[in-house]
Amino acid sequence: MLITGIKSRPVYDELTPMASGLIHLAAGQGSGGKALVRLLRAMTPEQLAATTVLYSTESFTGQNYLIDLQQFKVRDLAVFPTNADAVSGLDAYLATAKMGTRLYLTGSEGFIGTSMQVATSYGMNRDEVLREHAGSFVRRVWCAHCGHYSENVTHRIFVCPGCELNLIVRDHYSGRLAAFQGVKADSEVPGEMPENEELDT
Amino acid sequence: MTAISESAAFKTGETYTPEGKYQFRNSPEGVRRLPFPFPDDDYMYSMNLEPHVPAGNGALRAAFDIDEHYVSECTHRAQMLSDMPGVHYLALPHMLEAQWDLLELIFESYARDFPEHFTLTKNGNEWRWQNRLLGIDDSFTFGDPATLPMDPMEYATRQAQGEFVVLEEKDNTLVIGAGMTTQRADYSLKFNLGMSFFEFHGPVPKLHEMGILDRALKFLLRMKPGHPVRRVNWSLTVNPRLETSVETLPEWAPDRATVNGENAGEKVYLRIELQPLHRLPRSNAIVFPVRTYLVSLAELVEYAPDWAKRIHRALASLDPELVDYKGFHRYHAAAVEWLSRHDDGAPLATGYPWAPEGIQPGGN
Ligand code: HEM
Repeated sequence: MLITGIKSRPVYDELTPMASGLIHLAAGQGSGGKALVRLLRAMTPEQLAATTVLYSTESFTGQNYLIDLQQFKVRDLAVFPTNADAVSGLDAYLATAKMGTRLYLTGSEGFIGTSMQVATSYGMNRDEVLREHAGSFVRRVWCAHCGHYSENVTHRIFVCPGCELNLIVRDHYSGRLAAFQGVKADSEVPGEMPENEELDT
Repeated sequence: MTAISESAAFKTGETYTPEGKYQFRNSPEGVRRLPFPFPDDDYMYSMNLEPHVPAGNGALRAAFDIDEHYVSECTHRAQMLSDMPGVHYLALPHMLEAQWDLLELIFESYARDFPEHFTLTKNGNEWRWQNRLLGIDDSFTFGDPATLPMDPMEYATRQAQGEFVVLEEKDNTLVIGAGMTTQRADYSLKFNLGMSFFEFHGPVPKLHEMGILDRALKFLLRMKPGHPVRRVNWSLTVNPRLETSVETLPEWAPDRATVNGENAGEKVYLRIELQPLHRLPRSNAIVFPVRTYLVSLAELVEYAPDWAKRIHRALASLDPELVDYKGFHRYHAAAVEWLSRHDDGAPLATGYPWAPEGIQPGGN
């Protein structure tokens, strides 16, 4: 079973204003705030006036760009204490969104992935969404054996909080689950563990 | 009459699990009819797609092959589905039309190719389906899910051998939208659902670099209804275990450490996958069926000695990356050593057994 070098990891974009958009929704988290600032700077005053920003101040690396974001004359800036709250907020906005809405996502892979799940559930197409990765590449991992999701995984091998098996994180990524795959690390001979390593975070 | 009804009774008590003590074996004819996947002494991935037209009297005679294990495989499927609900059968909501397409394709093919076992009677959309092997006689309205006890795809594939993955065409690629996969080889349906052609092939070594994936996808996107294509693939599995998903890896991976030079003939099974792909007419979806055949190395030696020699050579020279990917680095040497005792080095024919001049099982 291949662990590293799998080609399913998402390829990210750079956030720039989408000219085709009538309404802009920009959701970011932690160090993604920097990409939001760059995006807003590149917008015309008309685009800014049609833009809603959702920002979560939860951050794995402690980056906070709220003060910078407050400088822009956008239609609305909504601030959330956690990433999960921001994703729920995104869900609520998209529920009332109109045709011509363009979505911008930035932050950790887990945040972008779970936000994409919401966007997909509203039938948004890939060409209506831009995604820019920011900050560390901590991973969200799905345990293939018990289904538990672990956030912010930094090492190749860790103990699953759901079933307490030693999991090895494969580089295989599922957009639908917004997660990498974790499988039992010592499955062939219990106790015989592959070497651990820090993930490319 | 067909090859199967003349030669093989359908076995009913077979099991594919340790709890059932792996009560599984092939008849001599069952082995000699297999779609043996090694055309040469050396094996490497290739663009091995060919038109799925009937060939010979074995596994390639019917559009969807059934054999002596049909009844026990259907029993196994029912058991797996009830053991782990939501893991082996999944369908995204927008795949309903493709599900009906698939039901029609399977039932029409079975009724045409095995009329002694299956009958499909159509009166407009009022259909009657008789499956004498499983004792089923149902009437339903084609296109109306309320007239079936479950999803059309689940209903049809619970009565079919092999697994079925249905893909929709989107943005110039193929995306997995539904699957009945109680026999999958080392991947997760739940994880792979919604993935595109390049994404779900991500873990396979060399395919991308060899340009095979690009060409295969272009080929599949041009497929038309009524013109199926097929390919074969293979792996090795310890014990006749059909369900080898990623989810249950902790249950079956330890078996890999139990093989040695003495028991490899009984323990190691060649796992042949016959994959006939079809474009579905209404939904424009593509179905990727995987018909899996298990045969032990000892059964090959006994009933198909030339195939045993061939697999010895193919395994001995196999690229280490493929050995790793297919998951048998721990017992590769043991299997090769065991097989070497049954290979006299005589030259063998090249080509698949169903091709003219291709390699035949040998012996008699
Ligand atoms: C559209 C239908 C297809 C589906 C749904 C499909 C699915 C898969 C899956 C799930 C795997 C296992 C990947 C893993 O390890 O996680 C796989 C392996 C593979 N696929 Fe496909 N595949 C399809 C068509 C093809 C075609 C047309 C080709 C080549 C012409 C191909 C070549 C391969 C090869 C060579 C492997 C590695 C198998 C091994 O070494 O055991 N596939 N496929």
